[in-house]
Amino acid sequence: MAGSAKSGQARGSRDKASGSGKQKGTYVYGIVPADVEVTDEMSGVGDPAGQVRVVASDDLAALVSDVDCSGSFGSPEDLVAHKEILDSVAAEVPVLPLRFGAVLTDDEAVIHELLDAHSDEFAGALRELEDRVQYVVKGRYDEDAILGEVLSENEEMADLREQIRGADKDATRDQRIRLGEMISEAVAAKREEDTRALGDAMEGHCVASAVREPAHELDAVHVAFLVTADQEEEVERVVSGLARDWEKRIELRLLGPMAAYDFVGATEPGA
Amino acid sequence: MTVAQPGGSSGGRPQPSGLADVIDSILDKGLVIDAYVRVSLVGIEVLTVDARVVIASVDTYLRFAEAVNRLDISQEKEGLPDLVGDMEEGGAKHKTKGALEAAGDKLRDFAGDGGSRREHASRRRGGEED
Repeated sequence: MAGSAKSGQARGSRDKASGSGKQKGTYVYGIVPADVEVTDEMSGVGDPAGQVRVVASDDLAALVSDVDCSGSFGSPEDLVAHKEILDSVAAEVPVLPLRFGAVLTDDEAVIHELLDAHSDEFAGALRELEDRVQYVVKGRYDEDAILGEVLSENEEMADLREQIRGADKDATRDQRIRLGEMISEAVAAKREEDTRALGDAMEGHCVASAVREPAHELDAVHVAFLVTADQEEEVERVVSGLARDWEKRIELRLLGPMAAYDFVGATEPGA
Repeated sequence: MTVAQPGGSSGGRPQPSGLADVIDSILDKGLVIDAYVRVSLVGIEVLTVDARVVIASVDTYLRFAEAVNRLDISQEKEGLPDLVGDMEEGGAKHKTKGALEAAGDKLRDFAGDGGSRREHASRRRGGEED
């Protein structure tokens, strides 16, 4: 499509605002100290992807890239780019990650409406994150293992299981729903129990923690931890230990280091 | 201070499970500034809804009940009438057992690593596997 250039008089015109069909914006990834510089080329969100650059004002800076607001936006590639940029930065310097999708009209708006307008708040939050990163512990129940576990602990469920075994699906629909509901509740109780156990095991090995909502019905644990640089090895050891304890029950994963997504925003960092 | 590109993020496409992890972190987490001028971005809303809704429903219950039924087949051999224990059931049994063993292997590998699975490049180290 040759929609990008208008022939004739439009060429060289200063009238940028009207008739161009493109609405440019400045996409913001996060806030960093002003002495941060981007050394490698990093491709940002959008199609075509803009290069990540720094917009600074006094002691603060924003990681941004140009984005065409009239195009489509929010693809899996965009989501991954947003997170990878923030995580790679967070591994080196403190960064306040913005929620996905923050677009300002231009660099001027970034400086005045974002950086200058919140300078004290941002500077304080960045100090809190100095030398700290986030990890996420995510566990998924092995379905057969957890079903066997909850069934063995409840007689009513065991009875219902007998009733539906080999029976016509439609004829036993009520029993099936009742059994499924009980299982769902039992799994939720297990989730609570195991999340508490994870929190206990991490006690003293993190600065703060934040329990996330389950994202799947078989989610076992899903907790974000803010940890200091010298706690990272302890965290790996604790999680490996739990993975062994929970072998066959829960597939446990340690994600990170990443930007402190769960410790900025509404909640106060370090709280 | 400088910012480097992560060393381990090879050019490969993100895995489905990786994308789920990404969504968990960036769609409803992170800093929100009410003062900024947000441009309306339609696609995001849809994705958010699709990805985040985990509500126990009748469908969930029926799925659990069905899973229990399968569990019976794999774990209890006695008492199954012959007319049920046909080829189809045998196939299901074999499949379930295989999946269980595979899961066990995976966990052993994980524990045997002496460390935890990492999804990103190590800190302050980069470029070893590009």
